[in-house]
Amino acid sequence: MSLIEVKNLSFSYNDTSLAIDDVSFSIEKGSYTTVIGHNGSGKSTLAKLLAGLLEAKKGEIIIDGLKMNEENIYEIRKKLGIVFQNPDNQFIGSTVRDDIAFGLENRRVAQRDMDPIIDQYAREVGLTDFLDKEPTALSGGQKQRVAIAGVMAMKPDIIIFDEATSMLDPKGKADIKKLINELHDTGRFTIISITHDIEEVLSGDDCLVLNKGRIYMHDKPEKVFARPDELRKIDLDIPFNLKVKEALYKNGIKLKSSDLKGMAKELWQLSSNH
Amino acid sequence: MNNLVFGKYIPIKSPIHDLDPRAKIAALFVMIAAVFIPKSWYCYALLGVIILGIVLLSHIKITMILKALKPTMFMMAFLLIINCLTVKTGTVLLSYKSFVIYSDAVLNTLFIVVRLLLMIMLTTILTATTKPLDLTLGIESLLSPLKVIHFPYHEIAMMISIALRFIPTIIEETMRIMNSQKSRGVDFEEGKLREKINAILSLIIPLFTVAFQRAFELADAMEARGYVPDQERTKYHTLKFRFKDFLFLLFAHILLALMILSRFYL
Amino acid sequence: MAIKFKSLSYIYDEGMPYAHKALDDINLELVEGKVTAIIGETGSGKSTLVEHLNALLLPSSGSLEILDREIVAREKNKGLKALRKEVGLVFQFSEYQLFEETILKDVAFGPKNYGISEEEANDKARKALKLVGIDEKMFDVSPFDISGGQKRRIAIAGILALEPSVLVLDEPTAGLDPKGAQEMIEIFITLNRKQGKTIIIVSHDNEMVYNYAENTVLMEKGRIAYCGPTLELFNNDELVRKYHLLEPQLVSFKRMLKEEGFKVPAEIRTIGELAKYMGKEVRKR
Repeated sequence: MSLIEVKNLSFSYNDTSLAIDDVSFSIEKGSYTTVIGHNGSGKSTLAKLLAGLLEAKKGEIIIDGLKMNEENIYEIRKKLGIVFQNPDNQFIGSTVRDDIAFGLENRRVAQRDMDPIIDQYAREVGLTDFLDKEPTALSGGQKQRVAIAGVMAMKPDIIIFDEATSMLDPKGKADIKKLINELHDTGRFTIISITHDIEEVLSGDDCLVLNKGRIYMHDKPEKVFARPDELRKIDLDIPFNLKVKEALYKNGIKLKSSDLKGMAKELWQLSSNH
Repeated sequence: MNNLVFGKYIPIKSPIHDLDPRAKIAALFVMIAAVFIPKSWYCYALLGVIILGIVLLSHIKITMILKALKPTMFMMAFLLIINCLTVKTGTVLLSYKSFVIYSDAVLNTLFIVVRLLLMIMLTTILTATTKPLDLTLGIESLLSPLKVIHFPYHEIAMMISIALRFIPTIIEETMRIMNSQKSRGVDFEEGKLREKINAILSLIIPLFTVAFQRAFELADAMEARGYVPDQERTKYHTLKFRFKDFLFLLFAHILLALMILSRFYL
Repeated sequence: MAIKFKSLSYIYDEGMPYAHKALDDINLELVEGKVTAIIGETGSGKSTLVEHLNALLLPSSGSLEILDREIVAREKNKGLKALRKEVGLVFQFSEYQLFEETILKDVAFGPKNYGISEEEANDKARKALKLVGIDEKMFDVSPFDISGGQKRRIAIAGILALEPSVLVLDEPTAGLDPKGAQEMIEIFITLNRKQGKTIIIVSHDNEMVYNYAENTVLMEKGRIAYCGPTLELFNNDELVRKYHLLEPQLVSFKRMLKEEGFKVPAEIRTIGELAKYMGKEVRKR
């Protein structure tokens, strides 16, 4: 059985339209799934439903065999952590140390056990030298790393990133993306990342494309990007290399390879073959 | 904004910094009571010397205390004028045509001023030597007996600590919105009353909108990390009440007792 | 005419123990009527620099010449409000400045602050909203009931309604989805081409900068590291390496093509131009 099973899930904020409309999918343990879709496609709503922060109108979510309901919600939350978009609005403690401790206090971890746990996860995300810093002294990327350490310290099976990089500068973005990849490589976590970053989709195992609250595609990244016209139709971007390939095609050049290096080589062969 | 002195924590080491926040909060209340009891100037001389002594022990610069007192100067001057106009007892100090100043007017003002000064000095000592977080922990701990009447002392402490955590963020936000509106031609300094009201609205409404949005996101983040308001949690920070804390508190009580006695014997 | 920074420095909290020099002896000329990008790492002084352009910050030392005005450190500078009409500054996450009951009212708020009649202000607001692609049907909707991307447009219209001749934008596309970001940039480029407005964009998106900005200012630790044509900065490997710039992917691809043997013209700055050129090259042989 899959770690996450979503069956016929629907949700609406008001009576007029559905934000999530009859969505079904499953996610395997240890996989890295990216979720894309333009603004208003229901991405963040889906993340909140999975984290149990919103209650479904219809359908069900089953996580690790547990059905999401009022009774199981606390048990499910132990299996799942979420990193939000705004670095400031999830920093609860007055220092890095206190913020990581916040979740541990909620879990009723004994006081004497807290410091070793805090030190361990601060080390894993590279924050050892920042433990006593206040949030105002940290960059956006560093604050997001604190959020990740705080989530990891609760030892979840699943980590959801809800546009966790969208408010960061390029350096912070690259930093967090690298960290997400490292977390995935440890094999300890199942990762779901909601993102605008089309290049990030390429580092995931699977991609879930949402449009108007429905699943538009759910496939391997390369298969998703093999249908660029369908992505364009719902206002989504495609990666740079595919844009180049497409533009060349429009100018009468059909290439086999898709990576930049390969395309450059092929172009040179084409131009010297005559 | 940054030159706000009152209520600011000064991160240095001192015997006063080292005390348990509960001892400091309780002692502060006891000493404020002590400040408002005596009628004799001898007592105020004694209190003054003792409180100055505590300031010295806390390694806070006297200039900082003076800065904290500065905003109250206006109020004190106002007090003096009111007293001069209304109090008509005591000896005549000064008379100019129909305008007469009596000694009691000055004495009364001086009494209030000295009490106020001592009180401000005491609160400045507390806030300058106690980290906001410790202050919250102290308040939480002192209020905890109220749980028998289901007083939400923990939630209140959590609210205070979150409020403290977000003060710098909100100040930054305020500056940014002010600058945005200035860029749209808003003048926060000058203008007619109507324009002033508009200017304030253009600041307040966005500020509230953002604050609410923050609050909702923060609530989600807390919930997702397993926070349940009325559920018991363990504590990362705990306070230790030591012998020196006891001594400090005892000292405050002795001071209070002395001041009460002074009412009978001086 | 140009915008000139003359040995301008700015110190935050001057005279305090935690004073911080954000701009350090800036000498800079920004050409009017062009699209100029300001790039650099977070904390390099980009935002501090642009906040001088409409005198939200006044120099600690040195001076600034802008639109027949000179702003000199430590002198009484009058009529700053008038300057702010001529130099429109759109802040980062500008959607947070919205506060009126309707979209139209919010956009007309700026012009009204400059004492023109309600009617005229609404006229200017309508024009500005049209420029940013907001439909007339939405004019009476509350600015709090629309999507984030639309809010950003309304906020930008709020500045455009002032009809500034210099438009300064601090990361106008941050947090927008790629399509929204693309449309936003195109609005500014159109304003520059059709109305000759000077556009100054602070950005982290080097791809966009390479595609659209004629000139680029690179800031590093409160100083100007480079100021000149965008292409000359990014096409120069040495500079890209020296300043740890994130290389636009188009530049990387152009380099790969050169390594294969193509002579790719330096002035190619978009995928479309490159594909067209390659088409000709391949057919030529």
